[in-house]
Amino acid sequence: MFLQQLVNGLTIGGIYAMIAVGYTMIYGVIQLINFAHGEIYMLGAFFAFTFISFLGLPFYAAFLLSMACCAVCGMLLDIFAYRPLRQSPRLAALITAIGMSIFLQNLAMVIWGSRPKPFPQGALPAYFEETAVTFSGVSLSWFHLFIFAITLMMMIGLNLIIQKTRWGKAMRAVAQNKTMAALTGINVNRVISYTFALAGSLGGAAGIMVGAYYNSLYPTMGYIAGVKAFAAAVLGGIGSVPGAMLGGVVLGVAEALGAGYLSSLYRDGISYAVMIIVIILIPAGLFGKLIKETKKSM
Amino acid sequence: MGKLNLPKLSRGNKVRTGVLVLALMLPFLPFVTDYILHIVIIVYLYMLLALGLNIVPGFNGLLDLGYVGFYGIGAYTSGLLTVHFGLSYWLIIPLAFINGAIWGILLGAPTLRLTGDYFAIVTFGFSELVVLFLTNEIWLTRGPLGLPGIEPVSLDLSLFGGPKWEFVGELPYYYLAIVMVAVTVFVMHRIQDSRLGRAWFAIRDDEVAAVSCGISLLTYKVIAFAISAAFGAVGGSFFARWVTFLSPDMFKFWESFLILCMIVLGGMGNIWGVMIGAVVLVSLSEVLRELLPLLGMPVEVRFLAFGLIMVLMMRYRPAGILPIPAVAAQMKAGRVKRKRVRVAVGMKE
Repeated sequence: MFLQQLVNGLTIGGIYAMIAVGYTMIYGVIQLINFAHGEIYMLGAFFAFTFISFLGLPFYAAFLLSMACCAVCGMLLDIFAYRPLRQSPRLAALITAIGMSIFLQNLAMVIWGSRPKPFPQGALPAYFEETAVTFSGVSLSWFHLFIFAITLMMMIGLNLIIQKTRWGKAMRAVAQNKTMAALTGINVNRVISYTFALAGSLGGAAGIMVGAYYNSLYPTMGYIAGVKAFAAAVLGGIGSVPGAMLGGVVLGVAEALGAGYLSSLYRDGISYAVMIIVIILIPAGLFGKLIKETKKSM
Repeated sequence: MGKLNLPKLSRGNKVRTGVLVLALMLPFLPFVTDYILHIVIIVYLYMLLALGLNIVPGFNGLLDLGYVGFYGIGAYTSGLLTVHFGLSYWLIIPLAFINGAIWGILLGAPTLRLTGDYFAIVTFGFSELVVLFLTNEIWLTRGPLGLPGIEPVSLDLSLFGGPKWEFVGELPYYYLAIVMVAVTVFVMHRIQDSRLGRAWFAIRDDEVAAVSCGISLLTYKVIAFAISAAFGAVGGSFFARWVTFLSPDMFKFWESFLILCMIVLGGMGNIWGVMIGAVVLVSLSEVLRELLPLLGMPVEVRFLAFGLIMVLMMRYRPAGILPIPAVAAQMKAGRVKRKRVRVAVGMKE
């Protein structure tokens, strides 16, 4: 029982971590809580659904294609909604982020309808359902392993991109000081757009996996997942990528164990409570530095 | 409908009086049905709520995403006190006000020390927790079944030898709502021109300057948040006794968003602007509610329009339809100053 809950927690925690990384990267470069990030995650699931059901693509192709689409959505979001406000006060950008979140959610409702949709199960590889490993009464399906593997791969890949590539270096420079970064010849706006694209593709991948895992897609799915992932990012220390990864896993496990042992009714409440407590007691999170209020930042 | 006083015209008190007289006479105009009265009461309710919320983003420049939590707390305070103890509405108003303020202080005191972003997200989490509590604590709130049979408002004058007058139909509520909005507008005006209001505006315009003038940021922000919460709770208390039925679904995040949208549209910090925002958005919401099913779409889709309104307003007119000069300047301040830096640095837009 305990181990089974732990496995469930780790599975969903890895997915939270993937979304949380998106929040934290965007916060790192432009100090904005991108409320619409949860909607990108939702769009990822719906893109995959559309590609499989209407274009008849195989699962893996649809997976990659919708990740690409989410990356484009992230960039468009930045270019049309946030870029014009880069010099405005934070309040304006936050309100825009909320507005975009609500807008995208309802756009999805117009396009795909408000009823929950099942994920096209026929498209999933047949061995996903089969048991891969059994140890001390806990059985792991290939699907669990697939989610673990993808999460791990993406996290490692992301770290490599941030630490080893030119773009990663530019991203870190922009996060530290935009003016100085511009002085060294970095195209700041382009770097920010690429950050949005990276965050969007990770969020989209998370959305597809959750949609397939729970076999249910609905336009408001991004809303709760977004808040939980944000809680994970806060727990890890917003702005810190490894922090967001750890925060996601910790939150996923806490939620699974809390729902299993305390009260399943307050399953969603656990992450809100964790978030509020962390913000009040240790606002810097596990890995972050305390961010000072700067009036006209961005 | 409402008091559509534009600041330009308010020099002549004639207009203000005219709108008030029109509002008072509205129920007796020939084309006004109960349905229209119902909608106008909703407009008044949202005016009250928007005026309350306005204190936080409008007067203090902080984003509050959890306003509906206080609205819900007020509504359930009112509903439960009525169902279990049969309290009179006139007693409930101050109780709801106090309860809202207490929760505002409890939430505000630890979180208002933090940056505005964190504050926004904590308020959001709080309002979600309120909904979860209302849904799951069935022993208290009956949960998703809702709380039915809340007695309507009545005015008992027997103490003074008068009759006991039960509120039946929309008409008495219409006048009650007008009185509540009028009192709120009056209070807001007085606060705005008081020491308290001036301290808030100083904080909104420049926190560092405000601190160096000896204004305690935390104290004034907590006061603002508590007053805002208290007005939200009073709005909720009216709502409970008016519709006589409550369910946790009524207090979802959408409501906070709608009220925030009214403020953004009307003009943050502008009392009349916020009221116009309420008129416009409630009307738009009702029109879309009728129109959308005809187009075969769920009514929730009207939030598509609201989301778009917020994004476009921030882009093109961040200080709202009726901007307050200070807010308008602040929303643009970065642009002018930074442009010079950008040119110097050679950064392209």
